Order: sequence, then structure tokens, then C-alpha cells
Amino acid sequence: MIKMFEINEFILKKAKEMGFGDVVVMGKESNRRQVRFANNEITVAKLWHEKEADLFVEMDKRIAGTTITDMSKENIEETLKALQATLKNMEPKKDYFGIAEGPFEYRDIPETFDGRIVELDEPNEYVERAINKAIEEGAKRVAGVLYTDHNKFYLSTSNGVEAMDEGTGIEISVRAFIGDLESGHGTNSSRMLSKFDPESAGEKAGYIASMARNPEQGPEGKFSVIFDPLAIANLLTYVGFMSSAYAAEAGFSFFINKLNKKVASERVTLRDMGNMPNGYGTRKFDDEGVPTKETLLIDRGIFKTFLLNTSMAKKYGVKSTGNAGMLQPHPWNIILEPGEFEKEEIFSDLKRGIYITNVWYTRFQNYVTGDFSTIPRDGMFLVENGEMKPIRNIRVSDNMLRILENIEALSNQLQHVHWWEVSVPVSTPYVLVKDVGITRATK
Amino acid sequence: MDILEYAIEKALELGAQYAEARFEDKKGTELLMKNGSPEGLELKVEKGIGIRVLVNGGMGFASTNELRKESILKVVDKAVKLARAASKVRKEPVIFSEEDFHRVYYEVKMKKNFQDLAPEEKMELLKKIEEEVKDTDVNVPMRFLEYSDEVWHKIFINSEGAYVESVIPRVSVLYNLVVFENNQVEQAPFVERGFSGGFELIEKDEPWERAVKDVKALKKLIYEGRSPPEGKVDIVISPEVAGIAVHESVGHPYELDRIMGREAAQAGESFVKPTMLGERIGSDMVNVVEDPTIPNSWGFYLYDDEGVKARLRYLIKGGLINEFLMNREYAAKLGMHSNAAARAISYKREPIVRMANTYLAPGDYSFEELIEDIKLGVYMVSFNEWNIDDRRYQQRYIGREAYLIENGELKEPVKRPILEITTKGLWSSVDAVGKEVEYYPGTCGKGEPGQGVPVWMGGAPARLRNIVLRR
Repeated sequence: MIKMFEINEFILKKAKEMGFGDVVVMGKESNRRQVRFANNEITVAKLWHEKEADLFVEMDKRIAGTTITDMSKENIEETLKALQATLKNMEPKKDYFGIAEGPFEYRDIPETFDGRIVELDEPNEYVERAINKAIEEGAKRVAGVLYTDHNKFYLSTSNGVEAMDEGTGIEISVRAFIGDLESGHGTNSSRMLSKFDPESAGEKAGYIASMARNPEQGPEGKFSVIFDPLAIANLLTYVGFMSSAYAAEAGFSFFINKLNKKVASERVTLRDMGNMPNGYGTRKFDDEGVPTKETLLIDRGIFKTFLLNTSMAKKYGVKSTGNAGMLQPHPWNIILEPGEFEKEEIFSDLKRGIYITNVWYTRFQNYVTGDFSTIPRDGMFLVENGEMKPIRNIRVSDNMLRILENIEALSNQLQHVHWWEVSVPVSTPYVLVKDVGITRATK
Repeated sequence: MDILEYAIEKALELGAQYAEARFEDKKGTELLMKNGSPEGLELKVEKGIGIRVLVNGGMGFASTNELRKESILKVVDKAVKLARAASKVRKEPVIFSEEDFHRVYYEVKMKKNFQDLAPEEKMELLKKIEEEVKDTDVNVPMRFLEYSDEVWHKIFINSEGAYVESVIPRVSVLYNLVVFENNQVEQAPFVERGFSGGFELIEKDEPWERAVKDVKALKKLIYEGRSPPEGKVDIVISPEVAGIAVHESVGHPYELDRIMGREAAQAGESFVKPTMLGERIGSDMVNVVEDPTIPNSWGFYLYDDEGVKARLRYLIKGGLINEFLMNREYAAKLGMHSNAAARAISYKREPIVRMANTYLAPGDYSFEELIEDIKLGVYMVSFNEWNIDDRRYQQRYIGREAYLIENGELKEPVKRPILEITTKGLWSSVDAVGKEVEYYPGTCGKGEPGQGVPVWMGGAPARLRNIVLRR
């Protein structure tokens, strides 16, 4: 067994001898298992076993990163020499201001590790349970994926950080079909086996698919839209990405020049929370060793901060938000604060509108203005006086800031969404947005 | 590679009916520049082995980056166990098509080997873009530039006699340029140039010229752009727009694994069914080709990641659905042979059905001939926003640079013309295809975990009749 901290120590020592300044070593050991299924059967089962160390080095404000997979002393020395030679004649990064000054104290975050997931021999029964539940609800074909995760992180920096985190997770994504045009999707992600509920994902997928029978071409125009947690989570992933100061500097954010300005309805309070119990993106510390925390991004409609690492925080004269990645800050878990309404109230109060259960393929015409479109998939419904009529072939074509501004109601329960289309976990209620642009093909 | 043979041998001993092992070693450099400042450099390193096996009709895959014999043995053992367990949750076994296999080595030669260049020489390329853009009279406050190169060495062997070793270098440049003028903002995001081959290819391509053209066009659009014309008009799509359209609405829906539901929970299914071979999907002017073997292309390969020899494929011929993209598993379901569409982006990913270089095949019209009889129309040169539904039938492309066509002549810029159209509507509207072919690189997303593979998209420009543009 290779001892990861010993490797980290060796890298730090060698790097110091060679004249590097700031150095970060993030050793990682991961065991990830995947079971994919389609047409009610398993298409492939996979296992990944990885051991590697991400390395960040700085020399006179010149910065570089790499990954070390061969942990031999010879390879480590060779890698450092290559980095040294590479950086020698580069120009410095003018706005580099260093990494966090450690050491830090870390608290254990509840519900992030479960030994039962590590010991789980064979997860196929969860897949079968989810498939069966979807079929019970009326599905004919069920597809999806199940993961189990076991990760260990070993972080050492030249600024006195030595930190370790170990986490587990199990999650499933289920899509149920009846015909070609009738489908539904459900997901469930948990860090603890006891809170994992694969049937709920299968049930929701099957239920939506059953409701979506015989859809008709949907209308176009401006509509009040109820976004299912799955659908709004997709859009909030982009909001999270664009909250990074790096995205803003690179011209990929509609929050540019919006600090302390109104960017959403007063009903909207949005956080990033790196230390969220049972959050699929939760970790004790960021890539510099800063303890993760809760960061208010939008407070009752006002954009409060970009996500920052230490260097960017110093550049702007503020404190790190504990969101450092090796090169750029990123969100951990995005949380849209719930509202006061029962989900059922939101549906029953809607005289005429559209219910969108899922979206994909969100793309921007202009990242700075926020003009975008996204495509509803799975069940979508025209809601008229409490009745739901299945529709198909529509597109949400609007502006992200306008959508945030037009949020009218939020339900009082959160769902934690993480799947193929939502790469950063999002906890969100059902959301009602007025005047959403809906378009369809013209030929 | 002894460990690959060892892996295959062990897999068969443990009960696999089929086994393959793929070793990959990738090395490269990535450089970033943001608003004139070098952002840092990454030495890209990835090395490991992936094992895929069939046991009792179940499929298992396992990978590791620890290349010691005992780790390999563990991984093989896991793959076999996973496959055996998976076989119990199957209605019918996974079967592979029969193929001829070869023992081959091939490589793409570099005239100017980027591995011999210091990073500061590569950085010069980004600096050149930065300087040329700043030398224009356009206000471009946000400039994000990226240079990337990589040599990809692979060895693939399987239990049926294949040995394919390849060395393919790739080099690319990407930029995001944000133009602020007259209190308005327009941008050219994720514009990429990319080739398989040496540094000389990206130098010769002169990405700085393209960047300058982009920011000038955006400034002109801000000051002179008008709304797209109303009602039914004719549209000429450039090779870049034709490229995204063939990729999204022809390449993807013709992937046989998707057609048969394997990607249903992720990228979705397809409006195309196996029985639709030979059916009309476009006018007889429409020919769409998929060809991994184009020299120096971004999507280049000569053998796929199942060891099958690659060839040119006509997806649409004369407006008819002609051929699907297939790997061995799904070709077998139709009683056919694979047409070498199996690709994996890394040793830790399974090979799945992918595109390589997809293009609208050229016709015989010059550009002037394409526009000469258009009374009122739009020429769409490039696009930003695009998307398509998960059955690949309802798509939308929004022009970044576009011009009005009036009485056979190009006129002032048009702001954000929106082509929102069905796949059949799009390809049935084509009544002329140009002569000149161009290709554009992209990273095609599919699979779970996601596998972004390098592809070219492109072809000839085409004329579409009677289209209502959204405004």
C-alpha cells in the first residue's frame, strides 16, 4: 500500500529544493462502480480504480498544473523537472496572488461517509428494484445508470495544509418510456445507503411517462411555466458555473458587472454549500485546503458574490469563498431556498400554463446577456384549470436573468438533483416562472 | 505489450468468451491566456489500461492506471465478475459481429513536432491572436484563449487476433472574444481550430486572421445589423452551419446504439428506426458523408477502438437514409458488419458508437450561383446557440454572423436569425449545394460518463428554400 501523505511530503520537499514557491498536491484514490441499463436489461457494468495526484506549482508568479499517476520517486522528480523547465521562460501571471495560508481546522460533515457502501458487493438489485417500480407505474422500457462511489482525498500544500477526506455515495438515474414520445425521468442521489431510494426514481419516471401518453404538438408564445426540480436544476447548474469569478473574467457569465445589483426576483435566495450534509458535491476543503462553507450567491434577488479562490479574492480585496479548484473556482452544491407553497398549491393555482418535467441541451447565444434556449424532454404538459394535457416538441427560448426575475412561486420542499445533465448537484423546489418564451419549429 | 496479452489470457481463463485490452498513453500541453495575461500551463498526462469482456452475454468493463501485473489481474477479475453478474439481468446476450482483424501500426507524422517546442513558442500563437485582436478598432474587453496539443498512443488487442497500435498527435486553438460597442455586447464563444498532425497545421491555419474577422464582423453587426426578414425566405447556410446541422440531425440519429435505446437515459433515442434504411429524409441534392480517414482531420483514425478498419460511409445518399453508424454489438443485431464507428476517449472509457468527420458532400454550385436568384433571404455564416431534441428531430441554430441577401446580392448584417426547424423540414428544403468544402472542429458529447471526442463537422454551403426565420 502506497502511503499518499508520504508521497505528498516527498513532492513538497523536492519542489522546495528545486525553487518552486506555492505547491499544492491533491492525492486521490477512487473506486467507482457503474451499472448501465436500457430496455430493462443491464447493458454494461464497470469499475474504475484510480490512484493519482493532482499537482499545482508556482514559480515567480508562473503557474502550472499536472497529474501524476506513476508515484515512483523517479517519475515524481522527472515531472517536477519538466514543470521547472517548462515554466522557466514563461511570462508571469500578473494577477496571481498566492494560495491559502494554512493550517486550518476541519469539521466532520455529517452524512458524507457510509462504510456499507464501501462493503456493498453487488448493486444490481437496486437497478432491478428501480426498473420494476417504473414498470409498475406503466413503463414499457426503462433505461438508466447506477453509481457507487468511494473517494479518498489527501491534500498537502506548501502553506502548511495537510488534510484528508473520505466520502461515499450511491445514486441512480432512471428514464422510463412507454412509446417513442412518452417518457419520464427520476433521479436519487445519496451519500448514505440508508437514505438511498432507487424506487422513488423509478416511480417518478414511470409516473410521468404514464401521464405523458398521446402528446400533441405544444403551443408557442409566453406562458407561466412550472419547472420540475429536475428541469430547474439544469438551469441552476449554469447559474452556478457563471457565479465563478473565473467564468466572469473569461466572458462566460451574465453576472458580469452585476455585483450587489438585482439579478432575480426577491423570492430568490441562492447559495453554494460545500459543507452540505448528504450533498453529492460535498467535501471538507477546497483544492487549497480552505474549509468549505455556505456562500450566499443571491440574497433575496441581489447578487452578493462571485465564487472565489484565494488568489482571485486577494485581487478583488475580499476573502476566499472556499471554492478553489486547481485552476479556477467552482461550485460544490447549489441550493435554491424553498418557498412557502405546497407543490399541489402551485399546480392548482395555475389557470393556464405549462409544466416541464425535464430539460436538456441548454445553450447560450450570448453568455454575457444570458440569452439561451433549452429543450424540454420527457413529460411536458399544458396545464389548464388543474387539468394536464400532454404536449411535445417545444423549446424554452428566453433569457436567464429574465427567468430569475420572473420567478413567482417556489414550493416548500427541496430535491437534491445530480445526473448526466446536472453535473454540479442542485437542491431545488418546484419553481413557477411567468412569461417564459416557448417556441417550436417553423417547418 | 506483454501485460495486454496477459490480461486477455487471464480473462479467457476466468471464463470470458471475448476479451479486449486497450493501453493508452496521452501526453500534451495546454496553455491559457485570459485578457492578455498567461493563466497557466498544464502538462496533460494520462496512462492506463481498460479491459472489456463478454461473459455469458453480459458485458463488463474495468480500468486502472496502476500498470503492475497484480493490479491488471485484479481489474481483469473484476471485469469478468461484473460481466457475469450483468448477464443475469439480460433478456438476450450481447453478441459481437464477426470481423476481419489485422496486426497493424500507423501514425500521423508531424512536420513540426510540438513536443520539441518550448511552451513559450506555443504561447506566441496565443499572443499573436491577442495582439492582432487588440490592433483592430474593435473594443474586445474579454479575451479567453487556449492552446492545446497531445500525442495519443494506443495499443488495442482482443481475443480474436486484433493488434492495432497507433500514434496520433492533435493540435488546437480555441477562443472566446467578447465585443462591447455602442452599449451592446456580442461574442464569438468557443471558436475552435483543430487538426491531427503537427504544429505546422495550426500555424498555417492562422487562427488570428479568423479572430480578427470575427470581432470586426461583430462590431459591424452591432452598428449596422437589422432584424431578419419576415415571412418565407430563402436561406444559404455556410459550411460551418451545414456542419453543425449534419452532425446534430444526421450523424447522431444514425448511431445504431442510440436507435436501439442504449443511450436512452442520457443523450436519448432517435427518430430513425432500423426499418427506415432507404427512406427519403431530404431532397435528392443531399448527400451526407462520415469519414474517419480524412488525412489531418480532427476526428482522424484508421482503425476504431474495436480493431475494425475504418472506411468512408454515406449516411444519406441522394436524400435517402443509406447507412447507420455501427459498432460490433449493434451491427450484429441487424446481421451486419461494423463500419468501425466504435470510439473511446480514454483507457477508462468503453468504446461506443461515435462520429468522426461528418460533412455535407459538395454539389456543383459556386457561391454566386447559390445566391444569384434569391430575391430575399439570409446567408448564415456562423452560429452561437444551437440545440436539438433528444430524438434529433427539432433543432435550432442562431446565426452569429449573417447577412441579408437581396436580389442576388449580399447586403447588410442580420442580427440573430433563428433557424428553428425539423430534420425533415431542413433537408427537404435544400435545392442546391455548393462546391467548396470546409471543416470545423468540435468536441462531440455522448456516453456516461461523458466522452467528448474530437470530430470535424462541415461540408459545402447549401441553399434552403421557403423558410420562416424566427426573430
